[in-house]
Amino acid sequence: MAATTDFVAAQKENRRNTLLLLVALTALAALVGYLVGWILETEGSDTMPAVSTLGIGAAGLLAAVSVVWSLISLAVGDRMVLAMAGAKQIEKEDAPQLYNVVEEMAIASGVPMPRVMVLETDALNAFATGNRVGGGTIAVTRGLLNTLSRDELQGVVAHEMAHLANLDTRYMVIVGVTVGLIALVCDMSLRTLNWGSTQRRSDSKGSSGGGILIIVLLVVAILAPLAAKAVQMAVSRQREYLADATSVQFTRSPNGLISALGKLGEKAAPFPGVSRATQHLFIVNPIHEFTSKTPALLATHPDIQDRISRLRNLGGRD
Amino acid sequence: MSFWIVLGILAAIGVWLIAVYNGLVGARNQGQTAWSQIDVQLKRRHDLIPNLVQVVKDAMGYEQETLTKVIQARNSAVAASGNPAQAGPAEAALTTATRGLFALMENYPQLKANENVMQLQEELTTTENKIAFSRQFYNDSVNAYNTRRQSFPAVLAAASLGFGPMDLFSMPETEREVPKVALR
Repeated sequence: MAATTDFVAAQKENRRNTLLLLVALTALAALVGYLVGWILETEGSDTMPAVSTLGIGAAGLLAAVSVVWSLISLAVGDRMVLAMAGAKQIEKEDAPQLYNVVEEMAIASGVPMPRVMVLETDALNAFATGNRVGGGTIAVTRGLLNTLSRDELQGVVAHEMAHLANLDTRYMVIVGVTVGLIALVCDMSLRTLNWGSTQRRSDSKGSSGGGILIIVLLVVAILAPLAAKAVQMAVSRQREYLADATSVQFTRSPNGLISALGKLGEKAAPFPGVSRATQHLFIVNPIHEFTSKTPALLATHPDIQDRISRLRNLGGRD
Repeated sequence: MSFWIVLGILAAIGVWLIAVYNGLVGARNQGQTAWSQIDVQLKRRHDLIPNLVQVVKDAMGYEQETLTKVIQARNSAVAASGNPAQAGPAEAALTTATRGLFALMENYPQLKANENVMQLQEELTTTENKIAFSRQFYNDSVNAYNTRRQSFPAVLAAASLGFGPMDLFSMPETEREVPKVALR
């Protein structure tokens, strides 16, 4: 990993990486859709067209479905996440310092003031959710409020505000939907292939071209969901790095977040109300124990030590 | 034929002017919004300081000189408000004065136990932070605006469309730090 020396360069690099990953994911979805359409088109006839119109149609249909699905998820996902986590909205009197720190970061980022919520658990964690730049929510756990100093709290809130400013919830919803859709289509085509190949065996005029295509589809259908999942997790990690870099833009000092991440790494613990569906939202992964190592390729969050060393590169102490 | 070419060029210039104009308006508005945010926070600080002085006055009877200095700095900051160029130094002087007060307050343990004082301290801390952050956001916005209006080709049209340069809000660099307060 090249050492980046300022938050602007770090942000640029993270944005470019996200874009590359999104392009890869879209290409994967298009490939799956095209293959399925191609197979369907060769199914009825002996010829194997080089360019399949049905394939293009299927890829288009897949894109349309994912747009609609994303829009629905974006409309209802926000409230579901908050209800699942059991977060309660607070006013300034309930936790003046937290409220003040969120106001400070709203000013520093130029993002409209989000709602502030508290999760009643001793675990140290925080998350942000919101699909537009305005109208977001920042939630922190009670344990975090009781443990962190003002500067550390500011670093954590800056990280969450960065997620809102960078529209990360929206990114992850769209990526999640695309990944889900790829898995669904691959699963469906595997089932159909199973059924189709038994049909074809009893049917003597199956074309050899179709046979090769079927093997290709079989391989793609097995590998594509795994690849999509890996891309999704890579996007999630890039957005974490980006939020860390953006938090330095807001506070102009990485020290608060560095020392907060140190404490979170020690004391983050699983707590009720989080699930695999929402784990990527948190500042540190709320499900995995930090002693057990998740395979790096499938982790929602980068390693905490790695995040800390990158933050040090952005001008932290030591 | 040449008529259409001329018309096409004129239309292109028109579209370009609209784009330059709208871009500059957006950037200038962001800067102005950021300035109004600083203004709000500065006023809030001006309101908070007399309250704090009032609360600590009895306990800190022997520090009249410091208290008077804080109030004087506050009053000249109020007088300078509204103008980025003049407000900067006045607000910087006020920050120095309040920091002196905060340092002295550490010698009075009874103040640390006072809920009221603690609250005022948190409010002053957050207000100082908000001033620093809104100044940062204001200056970033002004830089973006000034860069935009000085860049080619917008520089050809910016001045004649009435987009002048905007002033940065500068306070001495050390003043950005939050006062060290031992009462948290």
